[in-house]
Amino acid sequence: MALLELENVTAGYGHGPDILQDLSLTIEAGRSYCIIGPNGAGKSTLMRVICGLLHPRQGKVTYKGEVLNDMRTDEVLRRGISFVPQDRSLFPDMTVMENLRMGGFILSSRKDLHNRVEQVLQTFTILRERSSQRAKTLSGGEQQMLAIGRALVLNPEVIMLDEPSLGLAPKIARQIFEIVRQLKDLGMTVILVEQNARMGLESSDWGCVLDLGTNSFEGPADTVLNDPRIQELYLGKRRESRRESWK
Amino acid sequence: MTQAVQLLIIGISLGGVYALMASGLTLIFGVMRIVNIAHAALMITAAYASYWAFRLYHIDPIVSILISMPTMFVLGMLIYKLFFQRIIDSPRIGELTVLLTFALALILEGILGYFYTNIYRSTNPSYATRAILFDPFYLPQGQFYATLMSLVLIALLWAFLQYTKTGYSIRATMQNRTAAQVVGVNVNRVSMIAFSIGTALAGASGSMMTFLFTFYPGKHWEWVAILLSLIVLGGMGSLLGALVGSIMLAIASAYVSFRLGPTWSPITFFLALFLILLFRPQGLFGHKAEF
Repeated sequence: MALLELENVTAGYGHGPDILQDLSLTIEAGRSYCIIGPNGAGKSTLMRVICGLLHPRQGKVTYKGEVLNDMRTDEVLRRGISFVPQDRSLFPDMTVMENLRMGGFILSSRKDLHNRVEQVLQTFTILRERSSQRAKTLSGGEQQMLAIGRALVLNPEVIMLDEPSLGLAPKIARQIFEIVRQLKDLGMTVILVEQNARMGLESSDWGCVLDLGTNSFEGPADTVLNDPRIQELYLGKRRESRRESWK
Repeated sequence: MTQAVQLLIIGISLGGVYALMASGLTLIFGVMRIVNIAHAALMITAAYASYWAFRLYHIDPIVSILISMPTMFVLGMLIYKLFFQRIIDSPRIGELTVLLTFALALILEGILGYFYTNIYRSTNPSYATRAILFDPFYLPQGQFYATLMSLVLIALLWAFLQYTKTGYSIRATMQNRTAAQVVGVNVNRVSMIAFSIGTALAGASGSMMTFLFTFYPGKHWEWVAILLSLIVLGGMGSLLGALVGSIMLAIASAYVSFRLGPTWSPITFFLALFLILLFRPQGLFGHKAEF
């Protein structure tokens, strides 16, 4: 059964053009998804729409049957969807511990917050060692772990990660993808946007190719990975011909 | 040497008040990324309220802070809801709000000018003309009380930001607006609270302005230029920067005033603004934009 569903969603910024165009996508519980596509395809916009940072112009976003269209981000969070943005979006002058505690900002019980932060620190032991350090002093990989850890404080059902490997050394990126696999093993539904198509798809169950704001092609991750059209997409073939080739 | 120490005392004792004036402006900038050109006009508005409270009901200007701060807080909320709420998410918020707050400053100046004319005003509580003597130095009592009060208010603001949940959400929004949204902070509400607190601080500054300086409706243009140089020097959005920048420039201004005459005093602020923009545009405690 669909956990999260986007039906014919159109979205864009301000008075600008539509970035997502009539996009439909179904996310099933417990699966991990990797969304790939060229720059400007609307991958990050898709995540911003799901988490309430951007409201769709048309169409419907539903989570467990409830429409999310006009909800604020805090309301979406309360329903169990967390988001790790592309630039990691930490609070640079707060310590690691303060950043993690901010992850549980919407929790009303201090005890709950304490317990959940402790759980995250048990998972990411490096963060415990760095707990009194300011976020801006961490390495890129540690910052990404902190960003993921902060999203996990709420113990979400769905976690969305926007290009978690961006700017990281290959070895660190592999560690991050290993964490992504572990999240799925813990029963979470993972939605991953990734420029590094190979690593992203290898870590996921399902692949989805976004192009010009539409869901052009989707299928099991290994099928998508081995599809020759994926090569075309990243070799920069003309978009019009690419659109035709999906049909 | 004695003169240098005396100038230092005068500078520091004024710097605290400047810091209070600048802290509201820098808080608003830090959270909303807008430069509130109307900040000084709001200070002058509160100054008139305290002036009339003193003239009509003999309420001490420092005591009148108890009235001016909450009143200005509510006024700040109304201004936010009326003017900013609809455009807060606009990608052109910076340009729009410069024009909007400029217009707001003109409106406030016009209203105050209509009712109170352009006569110079000030209050004269007993301490305004006294000095604390510790030979060979002196400290003007009014400046001392005003700076003490300012430092208390800044410390309360700091404690609020540091230890309360709302304070955390304000700091989070100042550091990274998107990250704050992602963790569930209602940044629109936080922006309204920050704007209201900033306006309340303008209210407290205005009350103390009445016995430290003369004022009239158009005086806010001079003040807003000074306040901008203070927060640019300290680093826009940094409270610590506002405090340190204010004290530094107040001392420099006191020195220039003594050496070259009071007419030259304002140039200290603009020269500092020019130099800081040239050599360290992020200010003393500001962040570069790369994080």
